[in-house]
Amino acid sequence: MEAISVVITNLPFLLLGAWDTLKLTFFSVLIGLVLGTFIGMGRLSKIKVINIPSTVYVEFLRGTPLLVQISIVYFGLPQLGIQLQAYPAAIVALGLNSGAYIAEIVRAGIQSIPKGQYEAARSLGLTHWQAMRYIILPQAFKNILPALGNEFITLTKDSSLASVIGVTELMRRGQFVITRTFQTFSIYFGIALIYFVMTFTISRIVRYVEKRMAVA
Amino acid sequence: MNKILEVKNLHKSFGRLEVLKGINLEIFQGETIVIIGPSGGGKSTFLRCINHLEDYQSGEIIFLGKKIDKHTSNLNEIRTKIGMVFQHFNLFPHMSVLENLILAPTKVKKISKEEAVQKAKVILERVGLIEKINAYPDNLSGGQKQRVAIARALMMEPVLMLFDEPTSALDPELVGEVLEVMKDLAKSGMTMIVVTHEMGFAKEVADRIIFIDKGVVAEEGSPEEIMKNPKNERTKSFLRHIL
Ligand SMILES: Nc1ncnc2c1ncn2[C@@H]1O[C@H](COP(=O)(O)OP(=O)(O)O)[C@@H](O)[C@H]1O
Ligand SMILES: [Mg+2]
Repeated sequence: MEAISVVITNLPFLLLGAWDTLKLTFFSVLIGLVLGTFIGMGRLSKIKVINIPSTVYVEFLRGTPLLVQISIVYFGLPQLGIQLQAYPAAIVALGLNSGAYIAEIVRAGIQSIPKGQYEAARSLGLTHWQAMRYIILPQAFKNILPALGNEFITLTKDSSLASVIGVTELMRRGQFVITRTFQTFSIYFGIALIYFVMTFTISRIVRYVEKRMAVA
Repeated sequence: MNKILEVKNLHKSFGRLEVLKGINLEIFQGETIVIIGPSGGGKSTFLRCINHLEDYQSGEIIFLGKKIDKHTSNLNEIRTKIGMVFQHFNLFPHMSVLENLILAPTKVKKISKEEAVQKAKVILERVGLIEKINAYPDNLSGGQKQRVAIARALMMEPVLMLFDEPTSALDPELVGEVLEVMKDLAKSGMTMIVVTHEMGFAKEVADRIIFIDKGVVAEEGSPEEIMKNPKNERTKSFLRHIL
């Protein structure tokens, strides 16, 4: 009984952390989307100075642990004279990381659009950018919405790693409560439930939007 | 007469495969040229070189007196003057008919939306689809889609129109409505290059028929000459196949 009541008494404190987790995830996804869109297009470019760096970026960020990336941004960059607070550092690291995954999603999305769409656009005199902006990306994003939703969910969970640099998101706040109460199991389990409610809600929202877009 | 396009000794390869092996062609204002030939002979590639959707290795393409190649700086502006109609329509499925039509005029030519809409109405009237102005491509028949695609190209007021087998993806009963629009266009003085095997169309509006086979112009002549007594054996057997 005490196990449950300890979660309930600390719920407001934990929910503030959940709110931070959501904000952290949201801003990271935002950065990831912008970055991923450009890098995803870059991956498909025939121009080597665009294509090669894009590929290196994606491979490197997908091939190294997120925890290491967060550490580089927060502990490493200050040595180079770039000092970030924990919270912005976490957003930057998570944003850079999701940028790599979203780039691959965007690349697949662009490739899913028949070549004739791009050619029709160019034959009308649109520039490469205009063809991307008005014709290819709108159709691509519609197709990749489920994959982007997944990435959002993954990032919601991965953002818990920001606790190691002291960002007071959900995980970190849970650890605070545990040091105070010693209720390890119930607090971690409570946190797990809160994460689950968040990811489940997100997946429902994505599914709803998907259905709406399918009609349009 | 005004020379619209001149192609000199055009060579095009995909990797080691040489697809066009020295094509020559001249087209003057108001002419309609029909290109026929077996599949894989390079007809599509030839059209796609003209508006530079494909680069080429050697030769010259001169449109309105100016060379089109990979160094052409105002390629996008030139493309607005060369309308292209594809076998598979390539309408933009996420946009209504009206949006398909006004996109390029407003974004490329920067004319006002009001003006573009007015113009779209006139052109849709012309291709007989004004009642579909707010429809989406998925809700149109193949024939309607292709007429919208023609209308979309016309919105840019092209000087030259390229058609790449515009009716070969259509159910037979829908071919006629598209050919009608194309005939009207040809008779109104549009300069056109049409890849098609619709010999009735060719007979009625073509000034010349060109037979492209294995990357070269194997035969060229008036519809009468080509259809009644082709000189080339390959032309003969090809015509026997499609007629
Ligand atoms: N993008 C491409 N890459 C490689 N080969 C191609 C490409 N496009 C066309 N080809 C080849 O070029 C030849 C001519 O094709 P195409 O111009 O489409 O002929 P047609 O339109 O007369 O049927 C064919 O052998 C075809 O396989
Ligand atoms: Mg073809």
